[in-house]
Amino acid sequence: MMNSMTKWILWAVLLGMLVIYPRIFGIYYTNVFVTFAIFALFAVSLNLLLGYTGLLSFGHAMFFGTGAYGTALALEHIEGMPLLSAVLIGFFAAVILALILCPIMVRVSVTAFAMLHLAFGQLMFVLALKLRAITGGEDGIGGFPIPPFSIPGIVSIDMTDPSNFYYFAIAVLGVSIWILWFFTKTPFGSIMVGVRDNANRVDYMGFKVPQTKAIIYMFAGGFAGVAGAIYALFQNLIAAGDGFHIIVSFAPIMMTMVGGIGNFFGPVAGAAIFGIIEELTSRYTERVELVMGLILILVIMYAPMGFLGFIQIIKNRWFEKVAAKANTEEAL
Amino acid sequence: MDAVTAMYVAQGIHGLCYGMILFLVASGLTLIFGMMGILNLAHASFFMLSAYFSYTVLKVTGNFWLALLVAPVAAALLGVLLERYLLRRVHAFGHIGELILTVGVALVILEGVKVFWGTENLPLPVPEFLQGLVNIGGMDYPVYRIFIIGLSFSILVILALILYKTRLGMVVRAAVSDADMVNALGVNVPLVFMFVFGAGTWMAGVAGVAIAPILTVFPGLADQMGMDAFIVVVTGGFGSLGGAFLVSIIFGFLSSYGVQFVSTLAPVLMFIFMAIVLVIKPIGLFGERE
Repeated sequence: MMNSMTKWILWAVLLGMLVIYPRIFGIYYTNVFVTFAIFALFAVSLNLLLGYTGLLSFGHAMFFGTGAYGTALALEHIEGMPLLSAVLIGFFAAVILALILCPIMVRVSVTAFAMLHLAFGQLMFVLALKLRAITGGEDGIGGFPIPPFSIPGIVSIDMTDPSNFYYFAIAVLGVSIWILWFFTKTPFGSIMVGVRDNANRVDYMGFKVPQTKAIIYMFAGGFAGVAGAIYALFQNLIAAGDGFHIIVSFAPIMMTMVGGIGNFFGPVAGAAIFGIIEELTSRYTERVELVMGLILILVIMYAPMGFLGFIQIIKNRWFEKVAAKANTEEAL
Repeated sequence: MDAVTAMYVAQGIHGLCYGMILFLVASGLTLIFGMMGILNLAHASFFMLSAYFSYTVLKVTGNFWLALLVAPVAAALLGVLLERYLLRRVHAFGHIGELILTVGVALVILEGVKVFWGTENLPLPVPEFLQGLVNIGGMDYPVYRIFIIGLSFSILVILALILYKTRLGMVVRAAVSDADMVNALGVNVPLVFMFVFGAGTWMAGVAGVAIAPILTVFPGLADQMGMDAFIVVVTGGFGSLGGAFLVSIIFGFLSSYGVQFVSTLAPVLMFIFMAIVLVIKPIGLFGERE
C-alpha cells in the first residue's frame, strides 16, 4: 500500500503537470485536453448511474444539452451575468429536468429505463430543433458573451484566452469529479451500490429505494449539466446536434464500457482512450465512429470490465503468483 | 365525393401505409424483446441495410420482385449471425452488455453503410407496374401505397397464423412467457431464439425495401424509423404484438393527420402520446410485465 506521503507527492506532481500542460503542448492540444476533461466528467456522471446504481441511460445527453443551453441562454439574455453563476444555472437547469423526470424513471425496470431515456432524449432533441425562437434550431445559440472570471475588487481574468479558459475549465471539471468521487465514498454511496446488487434487500433494511435512486439521478444529471455548461462556454456555441443528439448519449456509455465499468476512474480512462483514438484515426479516415463501434463490440465480447478491469486482472494474476509463491515457501 | 372528404381519405391512406410499415419493424422488435428481454437497438439498422441491399439489387438486375425477395433475406441472415455469434456470447453478462453491444452494431452498420454507399440520398424508382393511381369508388389512390398496405397486411396475417395456429408458434409464445421452462421441457430454445431473431429482422427488411421508393435511401433512415419503432414498442407494452399493432396504426394516423392540422407540433405528437400513456400506465398499453 502507498503511504499518504507518496500519495500527496503523486497528487502534487499531477497538479504540476496540469498547470504546465498548456505551456508545453500549445493551444491545439490544450483544447484537445479541455474536450477530454469535459467528456471525462460527462462519463463519470453517467457511470454514477450505470456502474454504481446499475441504471443504463440512453438519454444522458439531455442533461448535457440542458446544462449547455441553460448556460448559453443565461449569458445571451441576462446582462452582466457572472461566469460561475452561468455555470450554476446550467447545473440547476439539468437538476430541475432530472427532478421532473425522476418520478417515472425511478420506478421502471432496467430495459424500460434505458428505452424511456432514449425516447425522452430524442424528444429533447426534437424540441431543441423545433423551438427555433428559443434554441435557434439547427444553428443553435452562438456568439454569446463569455464574461471574465472575476472576484469583485480582487481579480478579473479574461476567459477568451484559451489557456486562461483551460485553467478555469480544468478547475471546475476537476472539482466536480472530486465531488462525485467523494459522493461515492459516503455511506449513501454504499447504499447506491446496494441498490444495484440487491434492491429488495436494501428495501428490507429500511432504506427507501426509489428516493435513493432519485437523489443519485439528480446528482448524475446535474453534473452532466456542468459538463454541458463548460462545453457551451468552450465552444461559445451550442446547437441541437452537439447537445442532444443520440451520439452524445452513446459517447459516455462507450467511454465507460471501454474504460472500465467497475471503477470510478474507468470513465476517465475511457474518455482519454477515446480522445486518443479520435486524434489518431481522424488523420486517416472520416469514419471515426466505425472504429469506435468496433472497439466497443470487441470490449464487450472479450473484456467486459474494460481497460482498467483488464489491468486489474493482470495485476491480480501477477501479485497472486507472487503471493502464492511466498505462501508455498512459507509452508515449506 | 367532395374535396374535404377526399383529403381526409387520402391522408388516411398515407397514415395507414406508414402505420403498417411501422408495425412490420416494431413487431420484430417487440417479439425479440419478449423472448430475450432486450431491445435490439440495431433492429432499425437492418431495416436500413435491407433498403440499401434492395438499391444495389435493383441497380444490378432491375427487378423489383427480386429485390423484395433477396434484400430482406440477406438482412435476416446478418441478423441471425449477430444473434448467434455476438449476442449469445454476451448473454451471460446481463441485459446491459447486450443492449450496449447492439449500440455498437448499430454504429458499425451506420458507418459501414456510409463507406459502401456514400452519404447522399439514393433515389429508388417505384416499379413501373405499381406506378400511377387506381380509382376505387370515385377516388384516386396511389397504387404503390395500396400495395404496401396489402403486402404488410398479408405478412401480418401469416405472422398471426404461424404464431397462433402452428406448433412452432406455440413454442415461441411459450418461450416468450418462460424461456427456462420451455428449455427444460426439451425444446431447443436457443434455436427458436435464432429463428425469431431472423424472422424479426426479415420483417424489418421487407419494410425497408417497401419504403425505399417513398423515402429514398439514406443513412438517416435507421434513426428515423428506429426511434418511431422504439416508441411504438414502449407505448404498446414491451413484448405485446397486439399493442404494437394498435399503436403503430395510431401513430401512422397521428403523423399523417398531424402534419395536416398541427404541422409545427407533428414531430412531437408521438412523444406526447407516449408520455400520456406512460404516466397512466408505466408498462405500456398492453404490457404485462416490465
